[in-house]
Amino acid sequence: MSLRRVFESQPDRRYIMFGGKGGLGKTTLSATSAYWLAQQGKRVLLFSVDPQASLSDIFQRDIFGKGPVPIIENLWAQEVDADRRIKDYQEEIRKKILDMYGFEKVPEEIDNYIAAASAEPAMEESAIFDAVVDIIVRGDYDYYIYDLVPLGHALYYLSMAKVYDEWINKITKLREDMRQYDQVAATMRREETVQEDQILSELTYIKDRINASSRILTDKARTAFFFVVVPEEMILLDTKKAAELFAKFDVPLSGYIVNRVLPADLGAGTIPPYLRNRIAMQKKYLDDIKTSFGDEVLAYVPEMERDVTGLPMIERLARRLFDEG
Amino acid sequence: MLTERWARLRGALAQFMYGLTGYEFARHALEMRHELESVFMVVTFGDLVGVPVLPPVYSLRLLPYVVPEIATWKRHMAQRKEFWEKDEYDLHGL
Repeated sequence: MSLRRVFESQPDRRYIMFGGKGGLGKTTLSATSAYWLAQQGKRVLLFSVDPQASLSDIFQRDIFGKGPVPIIENLWAQEVDADRRIKDYQEEIRKKILDMYGFEKVPEEIDNYIAAASAEPAMEESAIFDAVVDIIVRGDYDYYIYDLVPLGHALYYLSMAKVYDEWINKITKLREDMRQYDQVAATMRREETVQEDQILSELTYIKDRINASSRILTDKARTAFFFVVVPEEMILLDTKKAAELFAKFDVPLSGYIVNRVLPADLGAGTIPPYLRNRIAMQKKYLDDIKTSFGDEVLAYVPEMERDVTGLPMIERLARRLFDEG
Repeated sequence: MLTERWARLRGALAQFMYGLTGYEFARHALEMRHELESVFMVVTFGDLVGVPVLPPVYSLRLLPYVVPEIATWKRHMAQRKEFWEKDEYDLHGL
């Protein structure tokens, strides 16, 4: 099975993630796949929540914190600026308080609380998580390609979906129980209606979104997670360990992509010993990859003659990867 | 024989003095420890007793709805008497 076949034969898998250690080509493969899918007429959003995201670099334009930016027809790229998002969010909360109570300014004590909450490290984490939820549940695109941060973090984000999912169910239940007491009290007092609990409504809204995104991210029918590897010992050892860990978190692992494979004709003729050794090393680990991952390898991506940045280079790689097999 | 009786008497006297003076302090200290332990448990393992620890982005979202209650709630928390502030635990000049 090739990467192209995976996309063609499983059109419901619309949430695509490329994971792997840093510097192996996750962004390159994300951008290349996004480019190819867009050319097939699919509306694609390629996004990253990494504060040091590389999408701006690969497309050679600044898209950081600018929302979904059109790259070519059908392809949008987005780099989430978590800091900006937190600031906007704080402003939104302040405005809501002013609107709800007709205050001239937000009471100092409450304003201090809002400011302090954003200084917590957990704030950035939960804001990033919420940004992903926001992108995923909106459903405006045919494909969502998530350019993930390195493996450990990827696992962290995915497991967070599970944790938040359980958390929100619990806290909503708590609020529902409180509501039941209100109802009992109202009945005792012979009151006909109970005032609407706006906190419960907000919680239900948050809950529906978190549940929906968590369902998507762990759904094998809708989500595909590809591991990017290169034929080197440490990368393979690490990837095998990570794969075991991912399986525990119900991550829908869909296959491996081997990047940076030296072209076969490079070994022909007289070559310097350095290059001969590199080729021999790659061959050894490519054999190892064949034995360990077998049919799960979806593509061998050649080492290009220059780094992949800018649309012409992405297009060339897309052709090599999807059209020439 | 006499020594044994003397030792018993001394033990009883020690227990009596403890009951008269130290017992109250010890009970006080143990109760305080217990109270603080439960506060600690709520803060660290709140989830176990149904007090989920909120991710800040979502707690801020709920903030506008509790604005009118914050002042009353804080006053209530400040006025809440802990057991060691109750009259029955006062050591009355000790």
